[in-house]
Amino acid sequence: MMSNKTPQKLKDSLLSLDMDATMEQVDFVVKGDADVTVQEAVDAVAEALEVVGKRFQGGEWFLAELVYSGEIAKSAMELLSPLMSSGASQPLGTIVVGTVAGDLHDLGKNIFINYSKSAGFEVVDLGIDVPVEKFVSAVDEYKPLALGMSCLLTITSEEVGKVIEGLKDRGNRDKVKVIVGGAALTEEFAREVGSDAFAPDAITGIDIIKKWIAS
Amino acid sequence: MDFKQRIMTAMNHEEPDQVPVMGLIMDPSTVNQIMGKEPVDFVAMIKNPDTKDSIKDMMNQDEFWNSTYQSNWNDALESSLKLGFDANWTIYAFMQLVEDSESSLGLVWHDVFGRVWEMGSDNKGNLILNYSRPLCPTEEAWEAWVEEKAPIFEKAIEYATDFHKKLVDDYGDRIMPIGCAAPGIFENCWQPIGFVEFTKFTFQKPGFVKRVIDFYTDYYLKYLEGVMRSGVEVVLGGDDLAQKTGPMMSPEMTEKLFGESYRHIAEAVHKRDRKFIFHSCGNIYPLLDKFIEWGFDGIITMEPTAGVELGKVREHVGHKLVLIGNLDVSYLLVKGSRQEIEDAVKRAIKDAASGGGYILSAAHSHPYVDPSRLEWMVEAVHKYGKYPISI
Ligand code: B1M
Repeated sequence: MMSNKTPQKLKDSLLSLDMDATMEQVDFVVKGDADVTVQEAVDAVAEALEVVGKRFQGGEWFLAELVYSGEIAKSAMELLSPLMSSGASQPLGTIVVGTVAGDLHDLGKNIFINYSKSAGFEVVDLGIDVPVEKFVSAVDEYKPLALGMSCLLTITSEEVGKVIEGLKDRGNRDKVKVIVGGAALTEEFAREVGSDAFAPDAITGIDIIKKWIAS
Repeated sequence: MDFKQRIMTAMNHEEPDQVPVMGLIMDPSTVNQIMGKEPVDFVAMIKNPDTKDSIKDMMNQDEFWNSTYQSNWNDALESSLKLGFDANWTIYAFMQLVEDSESSLGLVWHDVFGRVWEMGSDNKGNLILNYSRPLCPTEEAWEAWVEEKAPIFEKAIEYATDFHKKLVDDYGDRIMPIGCAAPGIFENCWQPIGFVEFTKFTFQKPGFVKRVIDFYTDYYLKYLEGVMRSGVEVVLGGDDLAQKTGPMMSPEMTEKLFGESYRHIAEAVHKRDRKFIFHSCGNIYPLLDKFIEWGFDGIITMEPTAGVELGKVREHVGHKLVLIGNLDVSYLLVKGSRQEIEDAVKRAIKDAASGGGYILSAAHSHPYVDPSRLEWMVEAVHKYGKYPISI
């Protein structure tokens, strides 16, 4: 039986990277065998992920922990999200994500996608080596709240600006927020090419998008 | 001193006549520019229905693959010689072209290890090949792959030995081929499985992960023997343990999973009286002590875009490791001015060359590295790298 200590237990087990213990707590919530709401359980997962982000940024945790905690959170959210708001799944919104043309690096993009899903977003993954036109058309097609681009090669970084120009040409620039990340980019570069935000890591990226929704 | 004495003196932490300079020439775009050759638009031939099948059949014949591959590397060493390098890395790969509906070209390369490589072209039509996804994302798929490919695994060692031997025989009196061993154990464990799945398995299926690591370690050691049998005197192990902000796994986890393997590798190389240098991209500061503990002789890369500075590394490791690197390939060797390159060379020499134990090189290979800039780099080393260093 789950007690009102569940949110804490959920947080602790996720932060101990214990998939089984986390899913056991989630199971209590799903079965209604708990005295906490689904929303409280979801908030506990979100709080745990904030701690994950801080540990990663502070150098206490590495990529492996970041990836695995993301996987645990994703598994938890797969069961919790459909139960939110009287059974109806209510995604926070859609994000379209891809790695820019000429670039095949996908680890960072995939981590960002996992965290986006855990946070409750619907994600359209355009994959790697995505041409400008594909990004631009995807914005037309999916009407996302954010478009995310990942870029790890300096030589392909100009693609980021080209996509933003493409959005302008199609009259869509003010209809979507643009967030960029990846080892080749910097805050300054992101600003110069006219994106709305630069994310040094996946969790910061999600925080930024959540703030956009809140405001 | 000749090129070999220069490299080996530096490898022994003594001062040669001048700072040695090593090339990481391999990308067809760089090689074709240096050799004045026109790119072969391989991707166009694959896209053409009239040539697609014959290309596939031809490339899948071992003999044709090996002779084409060898001739590409002959060109790479010729290019390196033209630019005045004392050494160049040499890397063997064995792959087959396979139909794949996930790929826009309909064909991808599969390597021996269970990795898919996609083809692309640069802006001049040169072929670019890159690892793109895993073929063995589950325990069952991995086991099946290893069983099915057992004969090819053995064959690849034979081919790699022949490949390096030919390069040593044909070029060894003019330039040092720095032979790469099989793909790094860390990379070769996660890439056939996928990073996310592999990470999950390290937590959830440690027994399976150990089997994977043991398998590749065993294979790596055999491959390494082959490369050393070819006559190569310095062996390079390429294994990206880090990314921009730090190691992919904590130093403790890296030690726990891979430490023993790396120790075995260094021992095997030293038993044959060879030297082992290790390449990892990314921010490797937290792993420097491990590299020393594992018995590596040197490290190559020290990626500036991940904040790695030669001077700081030297300060940390002293002369326990030979340092090879670290001229930037994100801007400097692609678009930098002659003055910027000269300044970077001077800084590198100042930071790392005193007392020997330093070989100057680019931080990485990159298809967009400009040959004239590599030439300026070598010229600057010859100008400012004479021992005793007086910068
Ligand atoms: C949308 O919103 C967001 C929000 C946050 C986002 C985001 C999007 N995207 C990322 N983030 C952020 O969140 C993540 C963490 O939370 C972070 O994501 P990252 O993607 O930055 O980090 C990942 C989680 C882990 N990091 C990585 O996965 C990259 C690690 C390093 C070592 C690396 C790897 C692994 C690879 N590589 Co490549 N590789 C290097 C890298 C060194 C480095 N300094 O990073 C780099 C990027 N590579 C480089 C090069 C040169 C190349 N690589 C190449 C190939 C490869 C491999 C295939 C071997 C492999 C990629 C495997 C794969 N499937 O992704 C080639 C290019 C291939 C291509 N066309 O894309 C090749 C050209 C090598 C060659 N000669 O062929 C260099 C680029 C230099 C430059 N600045 O231009 C490089 C910096 C290495 C170096 N020593 O210089 C944040 O940036």
